[in-house]
Formats: sequence, structure tokens, C-alpha cells
Amino acid sequence: MTRTTWLRGGSLACAALLVVLVSPSSFSQDPTVIRVTAERFTFTPSHIKVKRGTIVELRLRSEDTNHGFRIVGSGFNAIIPKRGRGEATLIFRADTPGRYTFECSKMCGAGHTFMRGTITVGE
Amino acid sequence: MRRRIAVLVAISIVLLVGGPVSGQTPDPPATQSPVASPGQTRIEELERRVRELETRLRELEAAATKPLAPPPAPREPAPAQQMPPSLGPPTSVEESSTVSRTGPISGYMDFHLNKPEHEDAQLDFHRFVLLFNHSFSDRLRFVGELELEHAFVSGLEASGEVELEQAYLDFKVKPELNFRAGMVLAPVGIINERHEPPSFHGVERPFVDTFIIPTTWFDAGVGVHGTVGAGWQYRAYLMAPLDATRITAEEGLHEATQKGFASNVRNVAHTGRLEYVGVPGLNLGTSFWRGKTGFNFRRVDSRVGLFEFDGRYRAGRFAARGEFAQVFIDGAADLNDFLQRTAGVSPNIARQMRGFYVEPSIRPLPWIRHDVAAFVRYENFDTQFKMPEGVLPLKQFDRAAWVFGGSYFPDPDVVFKIDYSIIRNRSSLFRSVDSLNIGLGWWF
Ligand SMILES: [Cu+2]
Repeated sequence: MTRTTWLRGGSLACAALLVVLVSPSSFSQDPTVIRVTAERFTFTPSHIKVKRGTIVELRLRSEDTNHGFRIVGSGFNAIIPKRGRGEATLIFRADTPGRYTFECSKMCGAGHTFMRGTITVGE
Repeated sequence: MRRRIAVLVAISIVLLVGGPVSGQTPDPPATQSPVASPGQTRIEELERRVRELETRLRELEAAATKPLAPPPAPREPAPAQQMPPSLGPPTSVEESSTVSRTGPISGYMDFHLNKPEHEDAQLDFHRFVLLFNHSFSDRLRFVGELELEHAFVSGLEASGEVELEQAYLDFKVKPELNFRAGMVLAPVGIINERHEPPSFHGVERPFVDTFIIPTTWFDAGVGVHGTVGAGWQYRAYLMAPLDATRITAEEGLHEATQKGFASNVRNVAHTGRLEYVGVPGLNLGTSFWRGKTGFNFRRVDSRVGLFEFDGRYRAGRFAARGEFAQVFIDGAADLNDFLQRTAGVSPNIARQMRGFYVEPSIRPLPWIRHDVAAFVRYENFDTQFKMPEGVLPLKQFDRAAWVFGGSYFPDPDVVFKIDYSIIRNRSSLFRSVDSLNIGLGWWF
């Protein structure tokens, strides 16, 4: 069973058990939730700013086809489900200031390469 | 947070009372084994699961990617980790990856049935398009779009076409500035850069996006593009110009593009587009084109200018889009004179052409599983909006159309379309032909 299928298929009980076993307090802080909408051929918002030290939860949703969300130079890459099929979530710690580029990583049409944006982690 | 705590409490209780660990694995039936009692079996089972979960956790911590929640299920708290992976120090695009990657082939298809009034119906595999992409590195990428129109190609005029609509290299510097060179799409209007069948209503593309803006408008070009500020996108290209000898009174600019077929670039055209996409659901754009056009007859100084603006908006079940485009042809009188002398017939090219449309749509059945949309589009387009001095416009080219119909999406990437198109013109002699259109389109 792959990691993805394990997470997809994992029941609520299994997921919660994981929390019980490894982390009495879960995250030390609640994540900052940022909703991003993908649509041929834009991300909205396309420029995201967060403070250093924030735990960021990106909730990625599509208004049409599958898109990808890849943060260049990191291992973060998610496929955003098609319209009406839920959302993808990326959680990370923004603890190194700088500007990160993200882009669509799933060919979505003639203007696919225009789908880019930035995450700025400020002090 | 509160929900998480509740879940923790629930699970702790489950553990304490020794209930089943997961709904997916019911208890084994009680056995008479003298070796292990049911309680011991359960403890062993729990220990095994704890070990399994610890392994999984280590895998998760090692992985930088946080996988997704299951798509259609109601939101559950994401499986949490003690600390989520860090975004890590930003690397420059150049440093990040120099590994070549070829993406899977994508594409779209467009299969139509057209039944013009008083004529036989026609089945037409209108478009078969394949898209390819290859990243040489994170900084350098190739995209190609190859289209077969009308399914069959031979040397005859009346058959289909194979078109290389896009084949460019993108050199990514930063989000604000990227360079592009090759065969590019003119960044004009809604449809030209956004023409996948599920992304617009109606079996055929709007008339304005056919006669006033000659979609699919592509040619050899070079330029820059990027995103700036909070929600602005731009592109600015130098492209091969339009060919004045292919502008017609009836179809406007439809056939005037050189399509990268040994495109004459004695003079290049300038084109650009600015879009605002900073508000979810709203997309506003404006674009222009300007370039000399009479390279086939050097003594005639003629230029085509095009100005366009458009908007799209979506809120809940409602959506609307609209577009306005106006074409200016400098030296139209000289072009007509020259072509009359050489070909014997004046093409009657206008000094100005104009077109606009508005298209509201609704998804009237939000409770059914698949999307269904109904739309109506009003279009007004005139390929002889203003004629050179002393020439009267022909009224049959001043046209309006009502197109109404629906789209059914068994999948967000598959659409079944039906519409009826009523076209009227201002001439009392020539009647435009209405048509019933049915289409099947898909993106993959
Ligand atoms: Cu894309």
C-alpha cells in the first residue's frame, strides 16, 4: 500500500490514533489557513504573504480541471482535484524568510505555463 | 482544534476499553485457543498497529510532501504530524532542478454535428489537439500544441488542416519576468488562449472570436510574460504580422494570419495583454495588436490595429462573460485599389470592424451530481463597420446572433453541448442561416 493510498483510505480512527500516539498536543499552534482557487490559467491569490514561523495550511481548490501546485525548489507538489471533488491540502512551516515560487505542475491547457505565483515568508 | 481534542478523547476511550481499533477490521471471532485469550489477541493486534503507525509516521516526517485529503469525502481533520515539514530555504529557480522531465501528453477533442437550416446535417471531427511539454530544467521549458482540424488533410483547399498552434520555449527568470520564443498564441481576447471545449459554452466558438479576433491566432513570435503585484498578469510579444491579402469583407480577419508558414516578418507586429485576476471569480482583460500588414505590395502602407477588452465573472451558480473588439485598418482604400488592379475584384476591406458579445449562464440544477449549465449569448459583429471614404458598407455584413443552449458535464473535463444559433443581418436581400449544433468535447 502506498503512502497516498494509506492516507486516502485511512479511517478517521486510524488518523486520530496517529495523533494520540505521536503528539499529545498536535501542532504547537493552529495553522493559518489560506484558500487558493485554481482556474485556467490563474491562481487566486497568486501572491501569498506569511510571517516567519507560521504553520501554513494551503487549501487548494479547482474551478475546472485538475491543476498542480508545486513549490519550486521544495518537495511540495500536490494535484488539485477537479471542480466539485474536494480540495488538496498542503501544510508546511514557513520558518525560513524568502520568496518561494509556485506553479501549476499538471498540464491544464493552452495557457498552463501562465499559472505561477509566489509565497513570501517575511520576518 | 476542539474537534481534534474530541477525537483524541474518543480514541483514548476506545483504547482504554479495548474496543475495535478501526471500523475496517472487525474483531476475529472468539476462538477456543488455549494459547491466546481474546484479550491477548487484541493487545497483540494493537501493538502490531502501533508499530505500523510508527513506521508510517517516520515515512511522513521524512517526506516533504503533505499528501491530500480524500477528494469527495466530507472534510476530516488532516492526519497531523508533530511538526509539519518546513518550506526550507528558498532556492533560486536555476538551482532547484536541472533534471529534464517530459510531461504526459494532454489534449482536447471537439466533435460536432451542425445542422444549418434547409441543409443536410454534417458530422465534423472539428478539432483533435495534442499538447506536449518538456522541462529541460526548472528554468527552461518547452510546450507544443499540435492540432488536426476536420480530421482529414490532403492537398486540396476544402480539406482539413494540421496546425502547429504552439511550440515555444519559456525561459523563466522570476514570476514577474519570463521570456518566450517560438510559435505562440496571440494574447488577444478570451478564447484564443483559453479554448479547451469545457471552458466555454456553445458548440462553435463565438463569431466575434472568429471574424474580428481570428482564433486560433498563432504565429512565430518572441516576448515576455509574467505576474506582477496582487493579481496582475501581462504578456507582450513581437509577432509575425497579418497578411492583408487574406482579409475579406465577409469573414474579416478570420483567414488573415500567416500561421508561421514562412511568415513574412519584414515588419513585425506588437501585441500585448494585461489581465486582472486578483478577486476570486473575476477576470478582466484588455489586449491590443498593431502591425503593418501589406508586405505583399510594398508601395501600399497599411496597418492593422486591434483593441479589445473582456471580462468574466462567476458567483455561485451564475456566471457571465463579455468581450468587445474593434479592428482598425489603415490604408484600406489603397489596399482595395491595389487588389482590384491585380486580382480584378476589390475585396471591399473595411476601415473598421467591430464586434462584441455578452453571455450570461447559470447552473440551474446544483443538487444533481453532474454540472448542467444553460446559457444565452448575444453577439453583434460587423466586418464593414466603417468603410473607406466613398464606399458604402454592405448591410449583410452587419450581423447579430442569438445563441442559446446548454452544456452537460458528466465529468468536469467532458462536455456535451447543444445550442441553436439565430443569425440576422441588416440586408433585405441576403438572409443569414440559423443552425442547430450538437457537440461533444473533452480535455484530458
Ligand atoms: Cu496548469
